[in-house]
Parts: sequence; structure tokens; C-alpha cells
Amino acid sequence: MTLVERDLTVAGVATRLLAGGDAQRPPVLFLHGGVPGASPFCGGAHLWGDVLERFAGDRHVLALDLPGSGGSALPDAAAPLFDRIATHVPAVIQALALGPCHLVGHDLGGLVALACALDAPALLASVTVVASAWAAPVGDGVENPVLAHPPQPLWSRASQAWALERLSYAHHHVDVSLLDACVAAAAGAPHRAAVAAMADGGFERRFAPNAGRTRGRVFAACREEGVVTPVQLVWGRQDPLTTPAHGLTLFKAIAARQREAQFDVINRAGSLVFREQPIAFHAAVAAFQDGLVGKV
Amino acid sequence: MMLQTGEMPPGREIEIAGIRTRYHDAGAGETLVFIYGGNFGSADSASSAYVWNLNLAPLASRFRVVAFDKLGQGYTDIPARDEDYTMDAVVKHAAAFIAALDLPPVHLIGHSRGGYAATRLALEQPRLVRSLTIINSGTLTPGVGTNDVVLQRPPFPSLTRDGARWVYRQYSFDPEIVTDDWMEVSFDIMSQPRYREAVRKMVDEQLGVTRFAPALRRDKRETLAWIAEGRLQRPTQVVWGADDKTALVERGVELFDLIAAHERRSSFHAINQSGHFVYREHPERFNALVTRFVDAVCAEEAGA
Repeated sequence: MTLVERDLTVAGVATRLLAGGDAQRPPVLFLHGGVPGASPFCGGAHLWGDVLERFAGDRHVLALDLPGSGGSALPDAAAPLFDRIATHVPAVIQALALGPCHLVGHDLGGLVALACALDAPALLASVTVVASAWAAPVGDGVENPVLAHPPQPLWSRASQAWALERLSYAHHHVDVSLLDACVAAAAGAPHRAAVAAMADGGFERRFAPNAGRTRGRVFAACREEGVVTPVQLVWGRQDPLTTPAHGLTLFKAIAARQREAQFDVINRAGSLVFREQPIAFHAAVAAFQDGLVGKV
Repeated sequence: MMLQTGEMPPGREIEIAGIRTRYHDAGAGETLVFIYGGNFGSADSASSAYVWNLNLAPLASRFRVVAFDKLGQGYTDIPARDEDYTMDAVVKHAAAFIAALDLPPVHLIGHSRGGYAATRLALEQPRLVRSLTIINSGTLTPGVGTNDVVLQRPPFPSLTRDGARWVYRQYSFDPEIVTDDWMEVSFDIMSQPRYREAVRKMVDEQLGVTRFAPALRRDKRETLAWIAEGRLQRPTQVVWGADDKTALVERGVELFDLIAAHERRSSFHAINQSGHFVYREHPERFNALVTRFVDAVCAEEAGA
């Protein structure tokens, strides 16, 4: 690993990220998936795995622990939980003077990235949304049972391994280093604070509605002024949470008013596309960013 | 030799089984071979290697790029025998061309009918092919094509600049990408006596309906069956202009699903605000996809 962990304080919040690559090259900020304190696996920059090294070859790579995950604290504020997470991203970009940077957001991180594109487009060069059931339209969706019955105790090694495998095309990428990092994240103060915040209806009342409203804002923007940042969508062909048909539907919504929109599907990959097919994932995302040169 | 963007490498000629074949060859490194769309004897428009002029120069800075005129198209001879007015003969000629130039296993890039030809070539002669890029190929997709709906009854006479311009504008998301230089080459090809002879064969002698089309339908059935059996065994990316009215983006997804069932190293890429000619409507985006794909194929085979 050539990436190093950095701890800093942004807007008064203890913030951890992985950084690597050449700081003179185009910055790419990675936003991991999982809902802090609610998903049956612990999110954090560690989820990205070795793909970050591939990007570090010709990019300035930064992978954030979102507030409430890994080493980043959940701000103790009155704002709804989703907003406390999402508004931290533009603050980090400004604090590190990264703008305009490419954002790559997985799952919940994809919706956070689109929120950033609505609220702070001047800070962004592009947004890549990866396998995001949080961002894609569902209509009156069918209940998805994939993560319905996690083994207890929650966030134990075995329980997280179960969840990560359930999200995948194949289990092979769920390796020792991933599980070590997930277990370490589960023991951290940010995770425990997030669990407390999400408990007793916190997720249903103080997180999900606000995330849903943000998704609605994205769709309204697609219809009206458009998402002004170039947007790429990358889906795993065998994602058990959100299918390529969901991704294509989101693509068509965004593409109506954003010329630089792209939709990519990677084979033999579930939700964690970048872990299951790191070479193909890197090629697709790097090609999108390369192709925008001179246009952003 | 450095080429300016938009500049074609100088044309060269090689004889392939008696067929004088025009091609353009530049750069060094992994070899990319481009196969464009259309077919001989088309009275409404004429394709040629020039269609890649926005891609060859930029890609030649990293790769060896080879674009040739297919049997009966561009500045290559038309078929010598009536029996060769088939897609099968086009595929055989393309394979013989790659073999004759003694190119190493190549990265094939095929568009539209050329996407079919490239895929069929990869199925018939896998040793010639290292990877495959298929672009907006209604000819190859199993689903319903709409090109005959979109292109029916051009409001201009056959074999004219205006007719060709109308056809290519219908194909495009942004009609303004249909440039004069492109149409000039198309018209120059349509003006050649040998091209008109192919039109006479296909249209007046009806080889198009009696030979070419039925043989293609038969071969297509076999080709799709072969893909479904898992015989396409090379890394494949499917690239699609998302606003192509003649080959809808859903057709691209269906084609990708067919291939991906057996080939792990496969991916699908749809580019917005692009009609049929995605490599002309978004050349930078397309060139980046090809570059990163070929690099990834090579890196993985090298064990990286």
C-alpha cells in the first residue's frame, strides 16, 4: 500500500482519509458505501481495496471515511443524519483545496456525490455513481430481502463477511484484510455513535426520509435545470441490490439534461464492482475522466 | 510521423486474393484494426476508412492503428464473383487482410455491420484477435432493429451528396457532426465506376435481396448461437451511442448480456447525446475508452 492514512479536522469534525498518488495530478475523491450504524457491514475507505492503487498511478487519490464511519466522527448537530454526512463532503474538498475534483461514490456515497453536484458544482469536475440503490429510481419497488437476516451479533466478523458476500457476485474478494478493516471499524467510536443515532427508529425517522428527499431533489434537477456536473454511472451486472435496469433508468433521467453522461456495466460484479473487477472498473472510470479533459 | 488530429495516415494498397485493398497504417505498439459499417452496393451512402479520421491520429500516439476498406467498399475492389456479394466474403477478406499484413493478434474495433464482421471474425479466427470492441451494431444484436424505419425513402436521389448527408444526419444525435469533408469522401466513393458496378449488382441485379440479405440472416442466426454457446472467448467491450434511433441502447444491453454470460472480461458503455457514430460524436470519450480498455486487457494478460 502506498496510500497513507491522514487524520484532520474539517469543520470541527475529526476526519480520516486515505491519500496517495501524485498531488499534482487530477484529484479523485472516493466516497464509500453503506449507511453508518445501519448497514450490516462497516463502511469506510477500506472498502475500496486495491483499486485505489490503480488510480494512484496517474491520479491524486483520496478516499474519505464518511462521518460516522471508520475514523470520521458523526457531527453532533440538529441537522438530519443524511445531511450531516452529505454536507461534510464539500467541506472536505474546500479544506483540502481539491476543487475541481472527480467524485466517485459507491452506494450511499453515490447519492452523497450527486447531492454535492447539486449543492457545490463548482467544486467538482465529474461525478461517478457506483451501484447506488440510494440514487436510482425504484417507483413502488419490491422489497429486497438480500440483507434481511444478518447473523448475530451484528457487525461481528462473521456477520460482516455474510453481508459483503450477499452483496457480491462471488465471495472471493471478501478477504482477511477487508474483514480485519471492517472489524476494526466496528470497534471505533464513530461506528458506535452512528449505531446509537440509527437505533430506536433513528434510521427510519432521521436518516431515510432525508436521503429520499435528496434523491427527489436529484430527479427534479434532472427534469428542470439538469445536473450540471458530468455524471458517469457504473453498475455491476449481477448486483443483487440494484440492477443494470435501475442504472439505465437513472442514466436516462440524468442524460436528458447533461450531455456528458455515461452508463457502464461491468460483468461478474455485484455491488462492490471495484473489488470484484478492479481492472475493468478502473479502466471505465479513468476513461470517463480522461474523455472529459478540456470539457470541464 | 506525427499526424494532426483529423488527418488520415497515407493510403497504401495490398492485394488480398486478387482484391486490391486500400488501408491506412500508422503508429506503433499494440495493433488496433478498425472495421467500419455499411456494405457494398449501398445506393444511399458510402462508408470508408475515412469515417475513423477523428480516432486514428490520437490513437496512433499510443498504438499501431490500421483502418482498411472492406471488400467492395471505399477504395477497395468490389467482389470478383456474384457468390462473393455476401457478408461471409467480407469477413473472409478482413481476416485474410489481417493475416497478410502479418499483424500480431489485434484489438478489433467494429462498428455497425463492421461490429458483426469483427465478431464473426473473432469467432472464426480467434488466433487473430486479442480483444473486441463492438460499437452500435444493430446487425449483431438479437433484438429488433429500427434502421429500416429511420432510413426509409430518403428525400433525395440515390448516389448524391445530399442523399448521403440526409442518411448520416438521420443516424446522428447532432446532425451538425455530419461534416462536408466526410460527405465529400462518401460522394467521391459513390462516383467511382466500380462502386456503381456494385450498386448495379446489389440493386439492379438484386443480389442484395437474393443473396446478401438471406445469407446474412442465416449467418447471423449461427453467429448468435455461437455466442450463446460461449464461443466468443476474447475480452469484449460493447460501446453504444445512447441516442441511436436505428440501434436503440436496449439492443446494446441485450447484446452485452449475451456476451457477458460467457466472457468475464466484458463491459458495456453507453455515451449520452450520441447517435450511431459515437466515435465521431464524442471522439475524445471514445478514444479514452479504447485506450483504457486495451491497456487493461494487456495489463491483465501480463499479470498486473
